[in-house]
Amino acid sequence: MLAVQEIDVFIHASHILRRVSLEVREREVVCLVGRNGAGKTTTLRTIMGYHRPRGGGIRFNDVPLHERRTHEIARLGLGFAPEESGIFPDLTVAENIEISTWTRPGGRPAAERLAAAYEIFPVLKQYGARKGPEMSGGERKMLSIARALALDPDMLLLDEPFEGLSPAIVPTVAAGLNEITQRGHAILIAESNIYHVPDFATRLYVIERGEIIFAGRPDDVRKDAAALRAIGGHA
Amino acid sequence: MTANLVNILMGGVFHAAILFLVAAGLQVVFGVQKIFNLACGSFYALGAYTGVSAVGYFTAHGGPPALFIIPLALGGLAVGLVGVVVERGLLRFVYDRDETFQLLLTFALVLMLEDLIRMTWGTAPVSTGGLYLNYGQARILGATVPVYNLIVIAASLAIALGIGWLLSRTVFGRIIRAAADNREMAEALGVDMRWVYVRVFTLGTMLGTLGGALVIPATAAMSEMGIELIVEAFAVVVIGGLGSMRGAFVGALVVGILRSVAISVYPELEMLLIYLIVIAVLLWRPSGLFGAAAA
Repeated sequence: MLAVQEIDVFIHASHILRRVSLEVREREVVCLVGRNGAGKTTTLRTIMGYHRPRGGGIRFNDVPLHERRTHEIARLGLGFAPEESGIFPDLTVAENIEISTWTRPGGRPAAERLAAAYEIFPVLKQYGARKGPEMSGGERKMLSIARALALDPDMLLLDEPFEGLSPAIVPTVAAGLNEITQRGHAILIAESNIYHVPDFATRLYVIERGEIIFAGRPDDVRKDAAALRAIGGHA
Repeated sequence: MTANLVNILMGGVFHAAILFLVAAGLQVVFGVQKIFNLACGSFYALGAYTGVSAVGYFTAHGGPPALFIIPLALGGLAVGLVGVVVERGLLRFVYDRDETFQLLLTFALVLMLEDLIRMTWGTAPVSTGGLYLNYGQARILGATVPVYNLIVIAASLAIALGIGWLLSRTVFGRIIRAAADNREMAEALGVDMRWVYVRVFTLGTMLGTLGGALVIPATAAMSEMGIELIVEAFAVVVIGGLGSMRGAFVGALVVGILRSVAISVYPELEMLLIYLIVIAVLLWRPSGLFGAAAA
C-alpha cells in the first residue's frame, strides 16, 4: 500500500533522513519508533508532501507521492493527524471533522463518513458546536484522528497519538485505533515511547539519527540490543 | 442645527460605507494570505475609472440614465477580475518571502496602476456628472440627502451581512477560515491553497473595485485617489484590528464619521484627527478594537 524507498531528506542544509525505507501493507498497524529528533516527524511530513526527498521515492497504491502536492496526497486517501493535533481553533468541533467531506467528496456519502468518525470517539459528539480551544489535550488528539478518518482514507498517518495523554485516556485512544484497523484502514504511527506501542501493532521500525536501524515484529525488537538502546526499552 | 448634524452624519456614513468595502477587501486578503495589500487603494481607483467609463458607454448607447447604477456596479465588479491576474502573475511568487518584500511588491503595484490609469484615462479628473441626482433627494429631519447615497449605504450594509454569512455559514467560508488558521493542516485535509488564494484575493479586489465604482457618482475620479484611500483604509484596519471583519466595519464608521465632522468643523484637522485616533488606539490597544490579543 505505502512504500517509502530509500529517501534522503534535507531541511535547510541538514541531512535529516538517510536512505529511509519502510512499508505499510493493507490493514497493517506499523509503528515508527525513535527518540525525539530521530526523524519520525520528518518521515511522516515527507510522506504528506511537506518536504521533497532529494533521493529515493514514495509510492502509495502505486502512485508516486513525491511529485504530488500535499492536498493531492490527502485526496489520494492519506489521513494525517500531526503531533500538535492541528485543530482549527476558529471552527467548531463538528466543522473541524466535516472539512474533509467538503475537500474530498466522492466515495462513501458524507453522513456515513462522519458517523464512522464519531463512532470511534463518541465523546466528540457532545462537543458539536463548541470550538477547538475549549478541549483538553486528549480530546484534541481524538478530534484530530477522527477528522483524518472522515477523509475516508485508506491509511492514517498519526504523529505521536499518545503523547501528553493522561494515563486514563491512553486505553480509550488505543481502543479507537484498534477499531479503525478493524474497519480496514492501515495505520502508520510515529511513537517515541516503546511502551505506547499498541499490542495490535503488526510491525515496527526503529529510527535513530535519520536511519532505520531495525525492522521487524514487535516481539523481535527485544532481542536487538542496538535497537533497544536507541528507544530506551529494556529486555 | 439638527439638519446640519444629520448632513454631517450621513456624509460620514456614506464615506464609511465605501471605506468598509475597501477595508473588508484588505482584511480578507490579510486574514488568509497574510499579505498587507497596499494596492487595495489602486483597485479602488481602478474601479472608479472603470465605473465612469461603463456609465458613459451605457448612457451614450441610449441606456436610461435612471438605470446607471447597473453598469456602474457591473463595471466595478468586472474590473475586480484583475485580481486573478495579480495573484497568479505576481503575488503567488512571494508568499514565502519576507513581509517587507511583499509590501514593496504591492507598493510597486500601486505605482504601476496609477500610471496605467493616467495612460488610459488621462490626468484630468473624470466624473459621471449629476447623474446620481436622478434618484432624487430624501429629506431626513430637515436635511437633504441624495437617495443615491442611501442606496450605497444600504448596499454596503448588505455586502457586510453577505460577507458575514459567507464566512460563517458556507463551506467556502469555513475552508478559508481553516486555511487562515493553519495552512499546512488545511492542505493535509485536502484543501488546495492555490484555489483558496486566487478566490480570496479576487474577492478582496472586487470589494475594492466595487467601492471605487460606487463612490464615483458622488465625486470625481482622480489618479491619486488610490493613495489617499490607502491612508484611510490603513487607519480603519489599525483601529478595528488587522484581519477582523467586525473591526473593518466599526473602524470604517469611526474614520468616516470623524472625517466628516472634522471637515465641517475645522477642515485643516481632517487627516490629523484620524492620525490622532490611530495613535491613541495603537497606544491603548495595539491589536485594535477587534484584533486578536497580541501574544
